[in-house]
Amino acid sequence: MSWDPDKLRSLFDLLIEKDITEFEHEDEGARVRIVRGKVAVATFSHTEAAPSAATVDAEHRGQQARGGADHRGASRGADDDVEVTSPFVGTFYRSPTPDSPSFVEVGSLVRPGQALCIIEAMKLMNEIESDISGTITEVCVPNGKAVEFGQKLFRIKKA
Amino acid sequence: MFKKILIANRGEIALRIVRACKELGVRTVAVHSEADARALHVRFADEAVCIGPAPASKSYLNIPAIISAAEITAADAIHPGYGFLSENAEFARICEKCGLRFIGPTPEGMRAWGDKVTARANAERYGLPLLAGTGVLRDIAHAIDEAKRIGFPVIIKASGGGGGRGMRVVRSEEDIESSFLSASREAESGFRNPDVFLEKFVERPKHIEFQVLADGQGKVWTLGERECSLQRRHQKIVEEAPSPVMTEELRREMGDVIRKAVRETGYRSLGTLEFIMDEHRDLYFLEMNTRVQVEHPVTEMATGLDLVALQIKVAAGDEVDLPDTRPWSFRGHAIECRINAEDPKSFAPWPGLITEYHPPGGTGVRIDSGVYGGWKVPSDYDSLLAKLIVHAPTRNEALIRMRRALGEFIIGGIRTNIPLHKKLMDDREMISGEMTTRTIERLLAEDSDADRPPSSVE
Repeated sequence: MSWDPDKLRSLFDLLIEKDITEFEHEDEGARVRIVRGKVAVATFSHTEAAPSAATVDAEHRGQQARGGADHRGASRGADDDVEVTSPFVGTFYRSPTPDSPSFVEVGSLVRPGQALCIIEAMKLMNEIESDISGTITEVCVPNGKAVEFGQKLFRIKKA
Repeated sequence: MFKKILIANRGEIALRIVRACKELGVRTVAVHSEADARALHVRFADEAVCIGPAPASKSYLNIPAIISAAEITAADAIHPGYGFLSENAEFARICEKCGLRFIGPTPEGMRAWGDKVTARANAERYGLPLLAGTGVLRDIAHAIDEAKRIGFPVIIKASGGGGGRGMRVVRSEEDIESSFLSASREAESGFRNPDVFLEKFVERPKHIEFQVLADGQGKVWTLGERECSLQRRHQKIVEEAPSPVMTEELRREMGDVIRKAVRETGYRSLGTLEFIMDEHRDLYFLEMNTRVQVEHPVTEMATGLDLVALQIKVAAGDEVDLPDTRPWSFRGHAIECRINAEDPKSFAPWPGLITEYHPPGGTGVRIDSGVYGGWKVPSDYDSLLAKLIVHAPTRNEALIRMRRALGEFIIGGIRTNIPLHKKLMDDREMISGEMTTRTIERLLAEDSDADRPPSSVE
């Protein structure tokens, strides 16, 4: 199922007209979730039939977890980059509000304690901070995507 | 019917629930710890979400992570399986609050029957037989009076806790004083509460339990009994349905009383009422489990029902098409052996890599298992690997079938209790149907006597 811009526009209009803050619909593997208000972000995900992307990540992570560190979900990748992994199940947001710029981009310099992203779980916004100084080399998850525990969020090249 | 169920459990029961959902046309979400990333239930579910590291407290008992996973996958119901959060009324309440149907009783139903004190009160109100017992004993004189009223043997138990602490079996009046004092002392040091009470003690009890299904709207079905007397340290090892000592009359009688109690307390979902049976074949209510049980397959095999599917239907408010409310009749006999990853003699848990796995098959054989060749049994959870269930027209044929099936079961790389099960299927008490909760203890004692080298003659 692919989304239809006109359908979407009338959907948005309807939500605003009726002042609906949250809307979710799923149909044969494609899910739409729209949240208005403090976090007004529209998300689309096409979940694949087995194996789902989450499952594939889980298998990969299962192998990493055996050797990896657990503290705040940071672990060493093969090429000396540090991976920041999600400490929660939730939704990943790259910026504090939908209108503001992302916390970080590829190439951004980060310091310990600096906010990298938000993981929203049960309406609570959790800021995820960097443990180290370095440069962002990869942003691993698109904005608004659901993430699971241990999912790779960023790669940081240690300073 | 639900569109999507999140399974808040692992291992064989999670796979069992995935199977029921597939047949009902419901999509499934498996939540798992990092240790279970390659588990069977994860691979067979439609979606999977990793919710935490291996320790149960951070994963399978992690309520926020589970609710979050339900949120991001848009699940509309949660099946808690058994153990973990299945009898946690707070979790049931949180699910309902978040708009997720909890597949089980309502939080109130869970509290009414899950709490031992209120369950006993319910049992009393509805005429379920109870073991004679007392409140807190004031002093030795009170203890003696009550013991004589109840009749020896009695057991002195601590009010403040269990696990064998502060427990003394007393067989005659002259032992009351010393037992009362030592039990009190132990209770004080173990639970900071010296209070003790008395209960009738059954020397060699059988464990009999009755399966119920309630739709929460006035219909209750009793689906027969199971006998689970073969236990070690209060853990069930072998179960069967029906019980070899149950009579039609007693089953009917108990069914009537149980259905009334369950219906009038407004209980919904699957439930099991557990009893002990004394040497006179009298039953005494112990407690009720407000969830699906590990041993549900023996009831399924001997009745032809899918209990998990029924549980899901009842939770969804769907029509349940079971004929009537009289006690269910059995066809044939089913036995289940719990295959655990443990040393068969020392019972030490034995996690590790399963190098080869060949389960038995053929007529009347069912395996409920979450393991496979190449699976690494983690050390963080219980040791259950598989449930081997057989079904046959008679109990004797079921025993023969179980012996045959145990002989075919190959699990390489780790130790299992298959050797113990082989001994149990040849045990005289098991064969006669007279087994009690002391049987395994007896068998193990005889075993270690046999192992001891003969002493030299003086």
